[in-house]
Amino acid sequence: MDVYSFPRLFVLLLLFVYKAHAQQEPTLSITGEVQTPLTLRLSDLKAMEQVTYTANDREGTENRFKGVPLVELLRKAGVTTGRELRGENLVKYVLVSAADGYEVLYALPEIDPDFTDQVIFLALEKNDAALPANEGPFRMIVPNDKRPARWIREVRHITVRFALR
Amino acid sequence: MAGNYSSEKKWRLFRNYTYTGTAGIFIFVGLIAFSVSGPEPYPLRYPSNFGSRFTVPEDNPTTKEGVYLGRMLFYEKKLSAGNSVSCESCHQQKRAFTDGKALSTGLNGAQTARNSMSLANLLWVRNYFWDGRAGSLEEQARFPLTDPHEMGQDLQESVRKLQETAPYPALFKQAFGSDRITEERIVQALAQFQRTLISAGSPYDDYLAGRYDPTDLELSGMRLFESNPDPERAIRGANCAHCHGGPRLHKELFHNNGLDLSASDPGREAVSGERSDKGRFRVPTLRNILLTAPYMHDGRFASLEEVLDHYSDHVQAAENLSSFLRGSSNEINGTQLALTSPEKQAIIAFLGMLTDTVFITNPDFTNPHNHP
Repeated sequence: MDVYSFPRLFVLLLLFVYKAHAQQEPTLSITGEVQTPLTLRLSDLKAMEQVTYTANDREGTENRFKGVPLVELLRKAGVTTGRELRGENLVKYVLVSAADGYEVLYALPEIDPDFTDQVIFLALEKNDAALPANEGPFRMIVPNDKRPARWIREVRHITVRFALR
Repeated sequence: MAGNYSSEKKWRLFRNYTYTGTAGIFIFVGLIAFSVSGPEPYPLRYPSNFGSRFTVPEDNPTTKEGVYLGRMLFYEKKLSAGNSVSCESCHQQKRAFTDGKALSTGLNGAQTARNSMSLANLLWVRNYFWDGRAGSLEEQARFPLTDPHEMGQDLQESVRKLQETAPYPALFKQAFGSDRITEERIVQALAQFQRTLISAGSPYDDYLAGRYDPTDLELSGMRLFESNPDPERAIRGANCAHCHGGPRLHKELFHNNGLDLSASDPGREAVSGERSDKGRFRVPTLRNILLTAPYMHDGRFASLEEVLDHYSDHVQAAENLSSFLRGSSNEINGTQLALTSPEKQAIIAFLGMLTDTVFITNPDFTNPHNHP
């Protein structure tokens, strides 16, 4: 074994790990009525403001979710929030779609802190670990919704739209 | 007075203007009459509980002439290499537009990769095929027409053949205003016909409309179909409706339903490129399900009994198994759904309510080459 083999192998291994990581890091897209369409990686999302919420699941088990407030994602993409959320902007909605095609929507005032104390957020973690495969990597948490039908799992896309007609 | 029109001349001028004006009106009316004599809108009729969440492309409105042309093309073997097969070969009306085979047979007996899908209520579908790769019926039509394992003919060749086959140039003129046949118009006409394949005449539809009394067995099957099992509260259920429910018996979903621990067919992964989509397939409509055996994307189950056995007892814990099939059980701490044999029979009895004989005998959908 020549003297260069080990460092070479190490660099190759690093490259391989980096490539595998780059290919598999999950992403979330935000498009539609936004100033800046975004594709955010898990690491981008982890670098943003985080909130937590603890909820019981159907079996009564307590789970602690942690993630990014949806309003922060909307602000980052340049959606009309806060003082801009008036007039026709009040008929904008946020459509969230999952890997399996499931979709739910929220109206902007349901998300905006000027209108509500509820913090809808995109969970990245459950009980201090990544969300499991059939639930994550991203799941929306809607604390005031008693039935979790809008706690949409496996979120892939967020689209902001105007209600037409 | 020189330089002035006499009153008679003024009158004549007035009359000339009037004539010109009248002629103009006639031309205008003529234009309206012409546009009225163009393709006539085809009303898409469906029960209000189906909802109107669908889009018909603006450049391809559904018209009577377009739908008739699409129906002719649906049954036209000239759209295949060697004039051997048509859409009907794999989509027969009596089987709710399926073919009764595990995998379909195309040109020269070649087998397709997946099971033929029922063509009912496609108007509401948003992503076509088992893997959802086509976003519109227009886009969808290109695949089977040109796939070497299906109809195997280049669309240019189809255009050429149809252009010299009566009555197609005339039918294209009626539908699209010009007898010039194009690839685009072929797929547009096929899409128009397929949008009219609405199934809304089953006993289940009648039940929802308050016109049908289900038998006790059907009712108990319906209850299981709709209930989420909760053994601690002694609620038995099969939870089918979670993915197959609603008046159309279809939701736009793609799930891994645990057929294999590791799927050999990538399914939706091939479209999205996402590893977590491996082995995910369209959740198909359950309309006319008794007529559309064999079942699953690869037709692996010959009967509904086998399908129920799968969901009840043999769901494989694939990595991305649908969360709605995970841990759903009629037994406390059970890992499988665990339905009893009579429960499976009750569910199958309920599924019988989804057979729409009006749909499979509708004369508007039959082969027009036989009975124009």
